[in-house]
Amino acid sequence: MSGRTTFGMIDAWERVTARIRLSQDVSIPGMLHAAVVRSTIPHGRLRRIETSGAWTVPGVVAVVTAADLARIPNLRPVYGPQIEDQPVLAHERVRYVGDMVALVAAENARAAREAAARVVVEYDPLPAVFDPIEALRPDAPLIHELRPEEPHRGHAVYFGLRPIFGTNCCNHFRLYTGDIERGFAEADLVLEETFRVPAAQHVAMEPHAALAYWEDGRLVVISGTQTPFNTRQILAQLFGLAPEQVRVIVPPMGGSFGSKVFPRIEPQVAVLAYLTGRPVKLVLDRYEEFVTLTRHATVVTIRLGLTRDGRITAKRVQAYWSTGAYADCGPDVARKGGFGSVGPYRIPHVAVDSYCVYTNLPPAGAFRGYAVTEVVWASERMMDIAADALGLDPLEFRLRNLLHDGEQFATGETLHDVHFRECLEAVARALHWEQGSRARSPEGRLRAKGLAVVMKGMTTPSRSEARVGVDRAGRVTVYSSTVELGQGARTVLAQLAAEPLEIPYTTVRVVDPDTDRTPFDNRTTSSRSTYMMGNAVRQAAEALARRLRELAAERLEAAPEDLELLPGAVCVRGVPERCVSWGELVTATGSDELQEHAVFRNEGGLDPETGHGIASSHWHQGAAGAEVEVDPETGQVRILRLHAAVYAGRVVNQLTAALQNEGSMIMGLGSALFEELVYDEGQPLTTNLSDYLIPSFLDLPVTLSHDLLECPGAEVHGLGETALPPVPAAIGNAVARAIGACLTELPLTPERVLRALRATRQEAS
Amino acid sequence: MGQVVHLAVNGEYHELSVLCDETLLETLRDRLGLTSVRETCGIGICGACTVLVDGRPVSSCLLLTSLADDAQVTTLEGLVGPNGALHPVQEAFLAQQAFQCSYCTPGMILSVVALLTENPTPTPEEAAAYLAGNLCRCGSYLRILAAVEDAARRLQQTRKLSR
Repeated sequence: MSGRTTFGMIDAWERVTARIRLSQDVSIPGMLHAAVVRSTIPHGRLRRIETSGAWTVPGVVAVVTAADLARIPNLRPVYGPQIEDQPVLAHERVRYVGDMVALVAAENARAAREAAARVVVEYDPLPAVFDPIEALRPDAPLIHELRPEEPHRGHAVYFGLRPIFGTNCCNHFRLYTGDIERGFAEADLVLEETFRVPAAQHVAMEPHAALAYWEDGRLVVISGTQTPFNTRQILAQLFGLAPEQVRVIVPPMGGSFGSKVFPRIEPQVAVLAYLTGRPVKLVLDRYEEFVTLTRHATVVTIRLGLTRDGRITAKRVQAYWSTGAYADCGPDVARKGGFGSVGPYRIPHVAVDSYCVYTNLPPAGAFRGYAVTEVVWASERMMDIAADALGLDPLEFRLRNLLHDGEQFATGETLHDVHFRECLEAVARALHWEQGSRARSPEGRLRAKGLAVVMKGMTTPSRSEARVGVDRAGRVTVYSSTVELGQGARTVLAQLAAEPLEIPYTTVRVVDPDTDRTPFDNRTTSSRSTYMMGNAVRQAAEALARRLRELAAERLEAAPEDLELLPGAVCVRGVPERCVSWGELVTATGSDELQEHAVFRNEGGLDPETGHGIASSHWHQGAAGAEVEVDPETGQVRILRLHAAVYAGRVVNQLTAALQNEGSMIMGLGSALFEELVYDEGQPLTTNLSDYLIPSFLDLPVTLSHDLLECPGAEVHGLGETALPPVPAAIGNAVARAIGACLTELPLTPERVLRALRATRQEAS
Repeated sequence: MGQVVHLAVNGEYHELSVLCDETLLETLRDRLGLTSVRETCGIGICGACTVLVDGRPVSSCLLLTSLADDAQVTTLEGLVGPNGALHPVQEAFLAQQAFQCSYCTPGMILSVVALLTENPTPTPEEAAAYLAGNLCRCGSYLRILAAVEDAARRLQQTRKLSR
């Protein structure tokens, strides 16, 4: 590997030797192991919890139910990042299969699990609801009773929350622009279709793992979480503590993909640690992973008004997000999916209603692609359906309607640094689109191509802070709360600190997030870290370089402009003997470390009534294309070529950027072809990798490639997930073209493809 | 209900009293503290807990330790040379940066060691088929295939030198 911006991971040696210490590897002498008793029914009243059997297991130290939580003074046993609707332990009622009913702590993990299995729970079942549209009907069982007069807003709701009180809708996002009726009246053709995306599982290879202990009235939690500061805030609120009384330490993670966003098991281990007076660790097993957090199952209906010459006059979107038993960040998913459903197109009349709806299923929250995979499936399939109806080439139809630099998005914000066209054209080139979207097929196979474009927002507003320091030994350290989950955050932040100080990035130390030691960051989500935290780190490093020059100028009695910064020293230009080392400069200040602090913010927000304002301070832009081969006898889809083009602005590290793109595309391929969580009356049927397939080596496309588009002087754009959302839609468009059928539901299993093919053939005959 | 088992783990001899339903994964990770042995699915599908038992790759979550009596077990910790030198397959993974979160890396590296023992010059198709039981959710598959090729080259070089 070579190239000016290719940097190996600074922790690569730790990784190939497994010396890297993950959350699940953390242990403390004297710690207990926890296990969770979970609901076996989707909705019901708790009649009785019999814990005596658990106590017969040797090594059991605590068995805790909701009733025991009263022993913790000032405990407010309910939490949630956006709506405080989740009890630490089910109280009176369970709301999904997997809901936490009781906790066990024991001297070893086996004893804890065995004891948990011996807790007997009796329920009185209640009617349950699993589909987000059925859950909105007036006669649907209410899963929560949100009331306007009760405070229910979590601290991480940074937008106007609009529950529909008296229903299961916990947030209704609206985006209205122009006059939707007029838009349809002006259309020559109006099309409507409903699309579905199932729930999915992140399957981070490392499960959730957290350890908690109490120290002089302070709570310390070591946990693999993408949200150290949100977790600190929520734990503080739970226990009635000041945030500074809680310390959250985050070791690197074996993957997350959104599954470790917001507290998942931290409140429970903290409670157990309080009640036992000992450190307590909990590591979830794979079944528990499958009932802990999912991607939202989604139903999206799109109505599109079109003119004969291929312009879009109006777009009406109704989206329903099944957020499961607890809202988690579902309200924001409905919001980001709401404006994301419009797509990067010039549409004068837009009406979006996006509903986040409780159901009796595992909670749904953040998932790589964050709402956009679901709406791009609907929106970009609809673009192909529309192109076909108009007799236009799908690429040409998109290009006619794409937003250009300086144009307004449906929210009213003006778009800058717009590159959708380049992304689509790069994909078209890679697919040889000029030779047509129908490829020549070998005997007995159907081949075709498809493409899709994506526009994805970044969390707005938000804030990242960083400190960069140099110590008496001249060693540079980055203090940042961006978490390392395999994306290479440590490496990229070391690079960005090293640049202004002109030192090799491998000499920079990056401190893992620790809310006692590292400054505030919103969270490691939304592909925001390289841009937001990267800017904070760079600014802090630049300030540090300036400070070192100033101190050296005084010491060397020279003008700062006559000085040059060398690795570890400042010298008078051209006079190598007039030098002072960074360590000497630090020592002379009397402190152990000279630090500079920087804050980087992005600003904006949307009016909750109209959806107007600044949805995103800048936009993640990309496109994907696929060439597929379908076996019409079996419905099996083979991906011959998969290509993504992502706008990077400026690539900081070619290596990690390429890995993000490839990983996003392969994850998208799984969503396209086989990933689906299946439930039968709320009972999960897919609870491990035996039933839920994720891509293996054998699922790789024949050719997998990508482009990273750069622009001189442009700002860095995050790349953590942009290449994922357009992949299922690109593959779906290719398969639909190959078999000449309308596909509206993911994943494209052989059965589903075959059914669509047969339906088309029946229609034709 | 213990059972005494004799194991040679990374060249070190152990006599252990294990539970009759204890898996090799539990023995290696919890009893011997070898944290490179990692569980993901626990049912023998993902390959994350792969170790070499008498040179063959095995999902340690499926093998009861009591059935591994007298076996030679190699974990990732055992690949590193006495002076801390990396195994050529580890060197290849490092050179090709064939990982993201690296949770699957220990199992992946051990499977590649086994692959290259059986087939020193695999085609990418042969490598993909052999490694299909090792899942990487980060999707670093292309780089891992590059690492297999690189490792094959390095091992051949080593063989030539030792001749």
